[in-house]
Amino acid sequence: MTALSDIDLTAEPGETITLLGPSGCGKTTLLRMIAGLEPTSIGTISVDGSSPDVARAAKRVGFIPQSPALLPWRSVRANAALLLDINRGASPTTPSVSVDDLLSEVGLADFADAYPHELSGGMQQRVGLARAFALDAPLLLMDEPFAALDEITRTDMRHLLGRLTEPLGTTVVFVTHSIAEAAFLSDRVIVMSPRPGRIVERIDIDLDRPRQPDIENTTDFFEVTARLRSALLEGSA
Amino acid sequence: MIILRRFGAPLVGIVGFLVVWEAFVRVFDVRKFVLLAPSKILSELFNAPGFYWDNTLITAGHMLLGLAISVVVSILVGAVLSSSRFAEEAAQPVLILVLVTPWVAYFASVKQWLGLGMSPIIFLAAFTAFPVLTFGVIGGMKSADPAARELLASVDARPWEVFWFLRLPAALPSIFTTARFALGISLAATYYSETRMNRTTGLGAIGSRVEFRPLTAAEVLWTTVFCTASLGILGLVAISAAERVLLKWHASQR
Repeated sequence: MTALSDIDLTAEPGETITLLGPSGCGKTTLLRMIAGLEPTSIGTISVDGSSPDVARAAKRVGFIPQSPALLPWRSVRANAALLLDINRGASPTTPSVSVDDLLSEVGLADFADAYPHELSGGMQQRVGLARAFALDAPLLLMDEPFAALDEITRTDMRHLLGRLTEPLGTTVVFVTHSIAEAAFLSDRVIVMSPRPGRIVERIDIDLDRPRQPDIENTTDFFEVTARLRSALLEGSA
Repeated sequence: MIILRRFGAPLVGIVGFLVVWEAFVRVFDVRKFVLLAPSKILSELFNAPGFYWDNTLITAGHMLLGLAISVVVSILVGAVLSSSRFAEEAAQPVLILVLVTPWVAYFASVKQWLGLGMSPIIFLAAFTAFPVLTFGVIGGMKSADPAARELLASVDARPWEVFWFLRLPAALPSIFTTARFALGISLAATYYSETRMNRTTGLGAIGSRVEFRPLTAAEVLWTTVFCTASLGILGLVAISAAERVLLKWHASQR
């Protein structure tokens, strides 16, 4: 089976790229390939000049899975620091932000000593964000991290994510099927269509940065979402 | 109210059981070798507390040493087996075989093999607990969150890191559950193997050899039964206590 076909894509440093498409279009597969979690049968992927496996071993990639995947026996702080405790040799010697700073940044300073079962779904995923940012990796890969959250929490989360990525200049590849998330977060949206997964359109999002939550009420934002919606519909037609 | 129910109800159960037992023995005048009244067991215990205490400690030592070995080995073996579907399926019939083969039957061979020291006792205590514990380890390790495994893979975690940070803690609830069964099996195996060695100490040894106290053989037998059961209960209480501390995060402890 061919999951993906004819994908040619380059992310510029500091850019946020969103892979937008319906279920089964291979966007998650593509993300996992970039993360080095899935082998590529044909073609090459290069992360910061090296192969995904090398980047993975050097902890140059922060991965945020669909479910928060917190370890229930670790406190919030220990969960946020988990990826630093593993493969220690490759951990940043002087991370630009500390775990505690990140926790207060995502609004969880008072919950640092709590356990995951004491948190709501949105708070758990915020720990997941802090955990990925703690790595201080130049590339973050996010696989529909907010898919399981309710609409209000989900909106808050994309605003939070925007606030975190912009000042750090992290390159982000974000997978979603939410048009609003794609429009708010991205510099560029890659619209994909299924069977086999391929790119149907590349859309630059020219909304000003830094983006504030109220941008979502502007006509510019509305136009962007309308454009994304029609591209998505055309792709799946 | 909750405290009353948690501690009161079991207490009522035990006292009720002892009263019925005592009454049964007295009313039907049961021979003491068949069933000794609890009051007689208590008075035997108070007549020679040091004797029973010392021997209970010896049996406890045998059992704990065997169990400790078994826990360590089953965690190592279980970790290997749970990482390969094939290995797990290949090991399954062997573990079941160890589980169902009556140790009473092959203990004579163990004695031949390991000699007359305490090694045959330790071996049996460990070996009988091994399959149950290993099943618990495998089941627990396989229950580790696949998304968390993926997350660890994304930073190139070494196999020992996956074991230490993810699979072992994830297996703890299931290890604790199976440890209760393992304790029961191991205690029975320890008692039995003590009866079959040419020894003078340990609950199994004193309970099975009337020559130590020919006139009170029935009392000794039933009092060792009592001490063995108490040892088992104490072990289960210790497991529950350890669980409370180590599994604070787990749904079963909330």
